[in-house]
Amino acid sequence: MAKTILIVDDSASLRQVVSIALKGAGYDVIEACDGVDGLKKLDGRKIHLIISDVNMPNMDGITFVKESKQLPAYKFTPVIMLTTEAGDAKKQAGQAAGAKAWVVKPFQPAQMLAAVGKLILP
Amino acid sequence: MSAEHEDPLQTFIAESRELLLQMEEALLDMESRPNDPETINAIFRAAHTIKGSAGLFGLDHIVAFTHVAESVLDRVRNNEIALDPGLGALLLKAGDHLGQLIELLAAQASPGAAIQADGQALQARLESYLDAALAADAKQPSADKPATTADLAAVNNPHWHISLRFGPDVLRHGMDPVSILRYLATLGEIAALHCVTDAIPSLAEIDPEACYLGVELAFASDRTPDEINGAFEFIRDDCLIHVLPPGAPLDTYRRMIDTLDKDAGMQAILLALGSLGPEEIAALNHPGDAPAGAASMLGGEVAEPSVKENKSSESSLIRVDAGKLDQLINLVGELIIAGAGASMVARNSKLPALIEATTLVSRLVEDVRDSALTLRMVQIGATFNRFRRVVRDVAKEIGKDIALDIRGGDTELDKTVVEKIGDPLTHIVRNSMDHGIEPAEVRLARGKPATGQLRLNAFHESGSIVIEVSDDGGGLNKARILKKAIERGLIGESQALSDKEIFNLVFEPGFSTAEQVSKLSGRGVGMDVVKRNIMALRGTVDIESVEGVGTTVRIRLPLTLAIIDGFMVGVGNAAYVLPLDMVVECIELPALPASEQTAPDYLNLRGSVLPFVRLREQFEVSAPPPTRENVVVVQYAGQRAGLVVDRLMGEFQTVIKPLGKVFSQIRGIGGSTILGSGEVALILDIPGLVRQVTQQSQPAATGGTETCTSNT
Repeated sequence: MAKTILIVDDSASLRQVVSIALKGAGYDVIEACDGVDGLKKLDGRKIHLIISDVNMPNMDGITFVKESKQLPAYKFTPVIMLTTEAGDAKKQAGQAAGAKAWVVKPFQPAQMLAAVGKLILP
Repeated sequence: MSAEHEDPLQTFIAESRELLLQMEEALLDMESRPNDPETINAIFRAAHTIKGSAGLFGLDHIVAFTHVAESVLDRVRNNEIALDPGLGALLLKAGDHLGQLIELLAAQASPGAAIQADGQALQARLESYLDAALAADAKQPSADKPATTADLAAVNNPHWHISLRFGPDVLRHGMDPVSILRYLATLGEIAALHCVTDAIPSLAEIDPEACYLGVELAFASDRTPDEINGAFEFIRDDCLIHVLPPGAPLDTYRRMIDTLDKDAGMQAILLALGSLGPEEIAALNHPGDAPAGAASMLGGEVAEPSVKENKSSESSLIRVDAGKLDQLINLVGELIIAGAGASMVARNSKLPALIEATTLVSRLVEDVRDSALTLRMVQIGATFNRFRRVVRDVAKEIGKDIALDIRGGDTELDKTVVEKIGDPLTHIVRNSMDHGIEPAEVRLARGKPATGQLRLNAFHESGSIVIEVSDDGGGLNKARILKKAIERGLIGESQALSDKEIFNLVFEPGFSTAEQVSKLSGRGVGMDVVKRNIMALRGTVDIESVEGVGTTVRIRLPLTLAIIDGFMVGVGNAAYVLPLDMVVECIELPALPASEQTAPDYLNLRGSVLPFVRLREQFEVSAPPPTRENVVVVQYAGQRAGLVVDRLMGEFQTVIKPLGKVFSQIRGIGGSTILGSGEVALILDIPGLVRQVTQQSQPAATGGTETCTSNT
């Protein structure tokens, strides 16, 4: 069973590229386009890792992570947040919400794969 | 979600276009509602997303440019810079420039020198906003490693020594120590490992969610320190980590041991792992310098931003290739035709059960058709909103003060129609602004407010969508239009025309009313092209105008271009289909004296005059008329007309198949469709017929017979 990763980002192209890279590395990928959609995808299925953008419409990434940590099934699911270098305050808020892994945008797919690998290997 | 086989770059281009539109819209919003945090956020997010995705594709020029814009926006968001009109205009320009870069990307071209210079100029102007606010922002990321001070001989050890004490929260954060070690194993080989369990409390005190473990390991790898440190990137804040490269000075070991624990346990472990030799342990036990600072724990609660209720509705949207939709619609069309065939066979078989079954299937097919068609429907709001920029720019350019009022933005119509209506609409809007709305002085003199009003409105009306562009300007000057039309030989001097007909003259080729040809409109290629474009969409356009009060241009378009609910009638052996939405009623044709058997004819319909046309004559059907004929009363654009037919054959789902170019000149026919039996039926062009009948001026058309295989 391949490990499943949920990508939450409002950019369809980013989701697509990351998703192609991750699938190529042997992960299963589920996509969601914002926090609200992301929570909808957390419906009890096994998800090994969440990658979430911070700045999204409807529900931002930090709220999303906070909410996800309230769900027993996803309490221990690691989260990688995507951020820009301009987001220092955001980073702290995210850390407080329980997101410890950060990848700075813009990134190359290989960087993302390395970051994911540190948390779960395929 | 998104189609995987699609080229991500195309997704990026489409997405960026959309985001730039949103950004532009938000920036224009800012002009009326400055400092709305959600709007600023939306602008920021657009720049942010484009930058983030551009980076994925290695589009460094876009990243670099967007980065500056994003930084400025970030400061605006944090109230460090005010978004004044100057900055707003600059950001609009920046958006335009980004748009250019994206379009170049779409065309697979690289930006030319002029565009690059533009970009640099814009970037410099944006940076000037940054410099002002930069002074306050001089924070430095903290140095991560305590500097090694002391000397001491290097340890004789070919391995890295890595010491990890996992923080109690790592599991809660999803950082599984095993995963970390597994990842580490991809960088080299773990030569020896010792698990430190000292921190585990008694069973009663154990918190099952907490982590109490630590590991010491000897690690063989030829990677760089950065790569190895990188493995612990995500747990650095929670954990106590020491990474000692091969041959690290003994002093670093001493400090590590001091940080971790004071007793001799560590020394034994280091000895066992082979990281330190016996002599080195002995050397360690000489008193050393003071312990260095431990890794700090990062805390810091920050107020949580509230959840934003946003108008954005992407969450439930799916991006689908338009080609796939077209394919679906085509298939539904085929399904309808096949279904009609099955129904016909069923009816002929006279088996009740079969008839019932096919009726059910037909009803479902109808539902499928409706759902499939709504897939192609998009709101016209996006198209309308584009005009906010057009109106703003044009108003500035021609020095008029014009307010745009948009209504009915949620009216839906077929995507193909939306795409093709933009250009004609732009032309009409520009015309209204340029020729319609008067300069402020004139307006004031006429007792109107100085600000001109331009309104875009859309609504549904009997199977069509109506788009109105109205202004409160000077209106059309009938005398001038007539004069010009006579000058150009479009009409004869003695011809008496209704107001509507006069106004419609402006759609004639080569007609331009403005005495001064301006830069914006009125090069004589204007309104006739508009009309042609709209006619190509099976739509019509007409003008209503009151001099001195204003003008309304009304475009009427069919809701869809593919499948309609039809009403089938028969003349002779042929079947014709007309759109059901346009049928008002059917009546029997009262017997008329033979002397009145010439077109055009009139009928007394409950006291009002109803002009009618005989399809038999229109299409030169040679079969003799039946004893009783029927009249189908149709209505289009407020005008009624009757069509005399032999038989009424009832409702029929009609898949519109276009007629070839050869037939484009045939009056009264808009397309063809295939019946269940495989025969071809012609679709009547009701707007054309109504016009023909009500104008009473044209004799029956010269072309077209009952099958579409013949030609004039």
